[in-house]
Amino acid sequence: MLFGIEPIFYFQVRNPCTIYLGAENVYFNQTRCRTGKHWEPKFKKLRGLKFITVKLPDYSELEKSVDEMSKDEIRTKMKEKGLLPEQPWMESPIYISCTGDVFEPYIPPEGDGKLSPISAKGAKQKLEFLEKKSKSLMALRKIRSFEEDFEPRIFLKLAEDIYILAHNEIMKKNNKDLIRYITERANPEIIHNVADKTIHWKYLETIEPAKVVHLRCTDVISRDNIFGQITVRFHSKQMLAVYDRFGRLMHGSESISKDVLEYIVFEKHLSNQYGVWRIHGKIIPDWMPPSEYPLNTFIDVT
Amino acid sequence: MEPLEEEGKELTKKMRWLTYNDLIFPPQVPGENPRPAYICLVKENIKYSPKKMWYIACLVRGMSVDEAIRQLSFVSRKGAEIAKETIKEAQSLAIQDHNVEYKSNLWVAESFVGKGPVVHGIRRHARMRIGKVEYKHCHYFVRLEEGKPPDNYYNRPSFDKQSMVDRWMKMIRNRKISSSL
Repeated sequence: MLFGIEPIFYFQVRNPCTIYLGAENVYFNQTRCRTGKHWEPKFKKLRGLKFITVKLPDYSELEKSVDEMSKDEIRTKMKEKGLLPEQPWMESPIYISCTGDVFEPYIPPEGDGKLSPISAKGAKQKLEFLEKKSKSLMALRKIRSFEEDFEPRIFLKLAEDIYILAHNEIMKKNNKDLIRYITERANPEIIHNVADKTIHWKYLETIEPAKVVHLRCTDVISRDNIFGQITVRFHSKQMLAVYDRFGRLMHGSESISKDVLEYIVFEKHLSNQYGVWRIHGKIIPDWMPPSEYPLNTFIDVT
Repeated sequence: MEPLEEEGKELTKKMRWLTYNDLIFPPQVPGENPRPAYICLVKENIKYSPKKMWYIACLVRGMSVDEAIRQLSFVSRKGAEIAKETIKEAQSLAIQDHNVEYKSNLWVAESFVGKGPVVHGIRRHARMRIGKVEYKHCHYFVRLEEGKPPDNYYNRPSFDKQSMVDRWMKMIRNRKISSSL
């Protein structure tokens, strides 16, 4: 070929790589220069067969939780292992020591119910108060049928204690003791986002004495299984400072106190001999402006 | 927060590196410098040699997050892609869960490799002999910290004009001239 019609040149370079310059197609195959590759491709397959194939564990698959898998995936996995499908559970767990909601919630009147009774709006408000009051009195009678010496005035002292103790337990992040002062329904709402924060809270003083504004009773499942709910109005001076995981102030202040008006719902399983009054929820009226929260620059990371 | 008794214990054990994310620091007084936020993350059981991963882990150490991602996207190695994904994941977690405001205001404070499980295989040799093949895995650990990266993370000598002159002068003055006063 070297003396053929077409001039062909061979250049031997240091690596076993050849630069071939043809007459028509000129190409430099320099990328083929790799060490560690056998020069003879003839027995490549046989050399490969020397390795006994091992099934490597697929960790991304092993660490996958059942929630991430699709229905077909679970089926094929169970088939591989020869497992029978689990019987579908028709039952669903329910908690029966507290109700799941605030029933007939108290609607705090706008302007704290101080509209003039002469105006049309004020007259309507007063009428509504009266209607609700009669219902509350009936509920009070019901509570007294279980607790003979129930007195709202004495209850208010207890309610205030529960309110303060519950807050102290939130500060301590003591879930075991917290459940003595709040119901299971309120628990997730209260402890949400608390775990990695440091909360400093102080009950400074009572501005107005606490007031029972609303009483309701309801039966659940059977007629004699009765729950009682009491809404209490707290008007107090409080201090709140929330620190993030690194101890940096996120919300509130240690030195500034604020007036807080809250409507707290307390619940008790009246039919239960050992039932106690616990915080069940908080009433936030629709007309109330949204509370302040720490503002962060919004950046879409995804 | 401690789970309730009825909730039961966690089934899978957490890696110790990730428990640093649960540390809660005491509140700071108003005058103090804000403590920089940080986040630890680990990518476990990567099918890649820890020896090869080491070079990539060293490359990004002490860089800002944006710079680290930019540099890694120009490294055509399998480990670079994995490291890049891990850093990006840590960055988004920092914003979601750890009260970091700006995603670019982070730097790679720690980046290292751990040895993972090794699966042993067999290779045939001549004359009925065998050779051991090791299929290595590794873990990639990363910690991002809030703030700007340090100017000289590795404490390398600087080569600007003034410092080179200073070094030269120091060397000259410190020399010992033999048989002199």
